[in-house]
Amino acid sequence: MSQNPRTKLGRKKGTRDHYLLRLFVVGLGPNSKLALSNLQSLCCEHLEGRYTIEVIDVVKNYQAAARDNILITPALVLVTPLPRVVVLGNLSDRQRVLFALRLSGGDP
Amino acid sequence: MHVRGRPIAKVPTQVSGLDEVLEGGLPRGRTTLVSGGPGSGKTVLGLQFLCAGALAGEPGVFVTLEERAEVVRQNALSMGWNLAALEKAGRVAIVEARLFGEEVTAGDFDIQGLLAIVGGQIKRIRARRVVMDALDVLLRVFNDPQRERNELYRLHEWLMNRGLTNLVTAKAQRGGETVSQYEFLDFMADCVLRLDHRVIGQVATRRLRVIKYRGSGFGTNEYPYVIGTHGIVLFPLTRAGLAHQPLGEKVSSGLTGLDIMLDGGYRRASCILVTGTSGTGKTTLTSTFVQAACRRGERVLSLSFEESREAIVHAMLSAGIDLRPALRARRLMIQTGLPEAMGSDDHLIRALEAIDSFKPDHVTLDAISACVRMGSEQAAFDYLMRLVCILKERGISCILTNQISGMVGTDEELSGIGFSSVVDAVIQLRFVEKDQEITREILVIKSRGSAHSNRRQTFVITDHGIEFPDDPLPPPSRKRPAGRQGGE
Repeated sequence: MSQNPRTKLGRKKGTRDHYLLRLFVVGLGPNSKLALSNLQSLCCEHLEGRYTIEVIDVVKNYQAAARDNILITPALVLVTPLPRVVVLGNLSDRQRVLFALRLSGGDP
Repeated sequence: MHVRGRPIAKVPTQVSGLDEVLEGGLPRGRTTLVSGGPGSGKTVLGLQFLCAGALAGEPGVFVTLEERAEVVRQNALSMGWNLAALEKAGRVAIVEARLFGEEVTAGDFDIQGLLAIVGGQIKRIRARRVVMDALDVLLRVFNDPQRERNELYRLHEWLMNRGLTNLVTAKAQRGGETVSQYEFLDFMADCVLRLDHRVIGQVATRRLRVIKYRGSGFGTNEYPYVIGTHGIVLFPLTRAGLAHQPLGEKVSSGLTGLDIMLDGGYRRASCILVTGTSGTGKTTLTSTFVQAACRRGERVLSLSFEESREAIVHAMLSAGIDLRPALRARRLMIQTGLPEAMGSDDHLIRALEAIDSFKPDHVTLDAISACVRMGSEQAAFDYLMRLVCILKERGISCILTNQISGMVGTDEELSGIGFSSVVDAVIQLRFVEKDQEITREILVIKSRGSAHSNRRQTFVITDHGIEFPDDPLPPPSRKRPAGRQGGE
């Protein structure tokens, strides 16, 4: 509670700047392709220049899926800024995704 | 009773009694569904199957969709299965696959992430078995019957393609006969087991039923089971009775007079019933045998539902029978219990555990009449029938006492409980009024595979045991050897 307001501000600023997004997919299935293209277009529009997308194929790297407890695919994990968020599905519902990633204020 | 089919490859579950019901085990390379309510033992059954496999050279993956892996390990350890050691040895892998309900859903998805994780573990330990515990929890995320179906189908195909033997558990709705929303799961699985946990007459009982088994016959009854200290134990009554040991040699009853009446004594591996009204001396007669057997160096397990161990020892002292040396020498084990304390299945498992560890030559049970208090007459029947059949299979003789209510009576009252077919010998004790005096009489009503006296004989209980004032007469068949001689 007795945090230095300066540090708090600085952290907030830093995290707002860059988004680390991890997308878990299965091979190149249609749903996975759709999820990736949905994510790319969303980032272009809302996070221009301040995002990184990591794509992980769970078939090739099951350990990574186990680490992040990814049972359902496609799945998007917002790694930073915290708090961590998990969005399941092919991300077609853009309003819900934006809301989950704290990029829109309204109720999805 | 049984539906016969073409034999298919099976994997023994090593669950006591279940393999008999399944005529060998679960279908190899196929999926078995175990459904049941909370506390019915689904997870225990899954763990038991997995651990038995791991120890028999078939590694397995346990996918826990509800409990934490650590909780699963603890539960297994309480049953004596050390999962952590098996994991270290590369024979078991646990996949903790729990959804937390915080995930946001946006668009279509499927369970390939889970399959990738499970698939990775299968490859790593070269698994032959997969257990998925609480599949219903995973399916909840879809929130749509059609999509649940699609995913189940995907899972089923995936499992089938790997040629693994799978056991999947799902919760049944409380009170429901079927898992209605998972009917498709029932349809998809090759073998469906339903576990039922219900309360009858204030006593919890568990029942297992095989709903279907593609390509195989199976026992179609409901089978009682208990969750013992080492997993699930089933009691298929229908199979009992097929493997009885033949009646053995004769052993002294501890009384010369009664031995004469029985043409030598009790037969080993037989079931002897002592009936009589209260106070006729049933427990004294049984204790006489216990004392004699222990003195011969044999081992006796006494199951008592009437009195405490101290009370039994004390009461017998007044009749001149000292059981203390036998107890000290650990040849006698007295297991006491209130019939009401637990269900008949739990009483049975308790007795079986004592039989397994103590390895008695003889078992006495005092008294049948108290067993009804385990819940119902049916419960008492189940308990006694299974106990006697198991004892006979192992060649252990048993002496049961039964208290009858009327002053006059034969073993007719017993037929109510309906298991006279497994009783080999019946000895009746009764009071008679003669010359304004109450005396006790003993009569051998039946003695399978042996000659026996057909006379009532007066006996007295003195402070140094049972005595016969008149020497008992030998059985009439002594004169007519062709009579009742020979086994049955």
